Amino acid sequence: MNKEISITINGEIFQQSVPIRMLLVDFIRDVAGLTGTHVGCTFEGVCGACTIHLDDEAVKSCLMLAVQADGRSITTIEGLAANGKLHPLQKAFNDHHALQCGFCSAGILMNMAEFTRTNRKLTEDEIRNALVGNLCRCTGYAHIVDAIKEVAGDAGSISAVHQHNLERA
Amino acid sequence: MSYVAKQQGWVGRQFNRKEDYRLTTGKGQYFADIVVPGMLHLVFVRSKHAHARIKRIDTSAAKAIPGVVAVVTGEDVRDAIKSLPQPVVVPALPARYPTFWPLAVDKVKFHGEPVAAVVARDKYVAEDAADAVAIEYEPLPIIGDMEDALKLGSPIVHDGWENNEMFSMTFTGGATPESQAANDAEVDQLIKSADVSIKGRYRVHRCGVTPLEPRGALATWDESDGMVAWITTQRPHIDRLAMSDVLDIPTERIRVIAPRDQGGAFGVKAPFYREPILVCYMARELKRPVRWLETREEHLMSVSQERDQIHDLEIGATKEGRIVALRDRGLADNGDGCEGVYWGYLMPFLGAALLPNAYDLTKCDIKIRVACTNKAVLSPARSFGAYPTRFALERAIDRLAHRLDKDPADVRRLNLIPTLPYVTATGVNYDSGDFLKVWDYLIKTIDLTKFRAEQREAWRRGRYIGVGFGVGAELSGVASSVLVPMENQPGYGAATVRLDPRGKVQVFEGDAPGGQGHETSMAQVVAQEFGIHPNDVTVMHGDTSTTPFGSGTIGARAGSYTVSAISTACRVLKKKIARVMAHDLKIESDPDDFVFVDGYVVYTKSDNVRKTFREVVERIIMAPLNLPAGESGGLEHTSFFEADAPMICFSAHAAFVEVNSNSGQIKLTRYVTSEDVGTVINPQIVEAQVQGGVVQGISNCLFEQFIYDENGQQLTCTFENYKLATAADVPTVEVHHEAGTPCPHTPLGSRGLGEGIPGAVPGALTNAVCDALRPFGIEIDELPLRPDRVWRALKEAKRLAAAE
Repeated sequence: MNKEISITINGEIFQQSVPIRMLLVDFIRDVAGLTGTHVGCTFEGVCGACTIHLDDEAVKSCLMLAVQADGRSITTIEGLAANGKLHPLQKAFNDHHALQCGFCSAGILMNMAEFTRTNRKLTEDEIRNALVGNLCRCTGYAHIVDAIKEVAGDAGSISAVHQHNLERA
Repeated sequence: MSYVAKQQGWVGRQFNRKEDYRLTTGKGQYFADIVVPGMLHLVFVRSKHAHARIKRIDTSAAKAIPGVVAVVTGEDVRDAIKSLPQPVVVPALPARYPTFWPLAVDKVKFHGEPVAAVVARDKYVAEDAADAVAIEYEPLPIIGDMEDALKLGSPIVHDGWENNEMFSMTFTGGATPESQAANDAEVDQLIKSADVSIKGRYRVHRCGVTPLEPRGALATWDESDGMVAWITTQRPHIDRLAMSDVLDIPTERIRVIAPRDQGGAFGVKAPFYREPILVCYMARELKRPVRWLETREEHLMSVSQERDQIHDLEIGATKEGRIVALRDRGLADNGDGCEGVYWGYLMPFLGAALLPNAYDLTKCDIKIRVACTNKAVLSPARSFGAYPTRFALERAIDRLAHRLDKDPADVRRLNLIPTLPYVTATGVNYDSGDFLKVWDYLIKTIDLTKFRAEQREAWRRGRYIGVGFGVGAELSGVASSVLVPMENQPGYGAATVRLDPRGKVQVFEGDAPGGQGHETSMAQVVAQEFGIHPNDVTVMHGDTSTTPFGSGTIGARAGSYTVSAISTACRVLKKKIARVMAHDLKIESDPDDFVFVDGYVVYTKSDNVRKTFREVVERIIMAPLNLPAGESGGLEHTSFFEADAPMICFSAHAAFVEVNSNSGQIKLTRYVTSEDVGTVINPQIVEAQVQGGVVQGISNCLFEQFIYDENGQQLTCTFENYKLATAADVPTVEVHHEAGTPCPHTPLGSRGLGEGIPGAVPGALTNAVCDALRPFGIEIDELPLRPDRVWRALKEAKRLAAAE
């Protein structure tokens, strides 16, 4: 059974008839062709590689059906940079070597972009606990924590994130 | 500053990775992102039984579903596809090799074995159809335990075998039964007459290093050009040869491409697996593109399962703690043993060869047996086979120290190999380095004396803190002298370096990385050699149609073998550039009189004589006139690098824990490493290899475990029940390279590091827990190291103490 839905992804409207059983992550990857959002588990929602923003809230797109996102607005990793300017976390991930294979990175960046928008002066423990919804197999997490710390840690400045969000809006 | 000093530019410098822009902006090019028009989706139907005869398969309902293109079973392919083993993926070692096809024929041998496959236009429909395939089984008795499997009268995994032993080997005492028997007797006598002997049974459970990206294969077929196959693989060139053999496709008509970006591999993507064979076969049969994208559930059912060894290990030592002899009887549970290249047993094989580790153990008697059972075959995981043997010996050393009432750090130092080169009792060559220097640096860094004082004070106040150590002498690449007998493949590193007329460089390597940062480290090496910027260098890998032959991204060979091939190729080209430049300048000179620095080629005997790198390169490629006699135009060179001797890197680890003596909860408070990685190319990348490797080791030790129930059902096929360490579970590792020694066998002095890192972890962690609980006298010899195990040991220790 199909249903006509309309989802805005990174500011662009995708109107399409899709099977009602289609997962949101498949809509993003296969229909919209945005392959930066990844699948690392059998849709049990543990690995977090498929994390996106649904109306500015970080969600795992493998745990939703596409039809549930009808009429809503999504940001994926491809839409995280603002007018070609990288999000401060994207830059910090490069500076701190916070990724190796990069398969988990999109999900972590999307999760942390939301988290650091409202949370600041984070301790290492707070950052580590905020990351439990994302698995990384390569890095051992240390450099990911360092990168997030630079942007939103005790000594970091969250204002860069706000500035970025203003530019994106 | 002299030019020579200025040249020390890019090697050793922190340089942000070139890969990261695309990977942090969603522009990576992973397997699942590759789409070919008309691509069909293949889904495997996997066995629900661990051991059963296939009575009947009814595919009619599946075939009747609209959108289904084909349904195949083992019977359909057994005559069309050559079974494995095939020579290119069989080691030159005397093992018994089971015959198998991509789909089960006659019977299934583990829960998750592919039995049939469905090909459909839509992936959801393919899954529906897979559910509609009806298979009737006749269950057979399960072989679920490696020791039972080797007993007389056990049910047999493979039809036609008289028992379940796939491989056995003696690693010590020479080549003949007589010399081995004499060696065994001598070791026995040494242990018996030693001041002390420590005997234990050490067991490491089934776990591995599953990458976050599962496997996949996509094949296209063209009647005139043949096959193009994208496979998640560390070894595209080997896959190409093997695929050619099993499908009878001449090699000139098959091209294998490892995707540019791979979501981790860690050994898991190194074997020649059964699933891609069927994908390639179906693409040729249907003459349409066919893709299989593995689910996490399939992945955890069928691959990423390693370790799973038992070691009965005994050491004899002097009262000072010097080990005089060692005997080990190893056992491994190899599942069905069906897997190209490794056949599961190569991991326990290498683990046994590496058992002596960095310790000076001249008198050893080491033997292993590998059993087939009704489980998935062992597939490689970083710290290849050695994770269990490292654990066994490190635990034995701590138990020896406890018996002698000495600090385990002192006993360890007493037994470390004092000078290199060294050949172990198992025949493994350790080329160079200084173990004691690396070790002493670790002990100084952690200030052991101070910690011991804090520990005594903590114990007095009822807190249990401890430190544990582990070391690893690990492969730094795998020499041909090791890899030819072990895997029937060459060990050399290979690279093509191609200059273009604009003075930019392309590098082609035949291996296939999965996140190790080859594009950056290798660009830094080229930049250093030519005196240009790393951004002027592009590194391409993984495509068998454009890269020189390489055995794959395995055994930490990029930092040892592959960069050495690149460096060597660059130096050949530099000599040519220098010869042409000298000729043009009409100077009599040696090529070494020219240096490449800051975008210039400079004649060292006169700073005023220089040309831009681009200018001289362009002249040789685009204007090959008036060249020196015998010289031709163009600037491209392929090097195959083989070191004089097999090489190693070394690391020493210290883990600190606090244990709750009521609950058994373990808190990992600090983790420090000291490595010898030789010349560091990119410090951030090297450090990250250690961070990631240690956390994989921790995750294996504390959390991960594949569990099969009494019916052979695999109960841990999702990330909900196969738990990986999260960020909140682990500390940041303190990583130190300061005590390294440049490797004399590589052009840059670099060593490959990364593959073996997890191996030192289980010993260090478990030793730390036992050290914290010294007041209770607890020794833990089995993993995983979970609070329930510690709690039980504490309860038993308290009961014994109360009884006294």
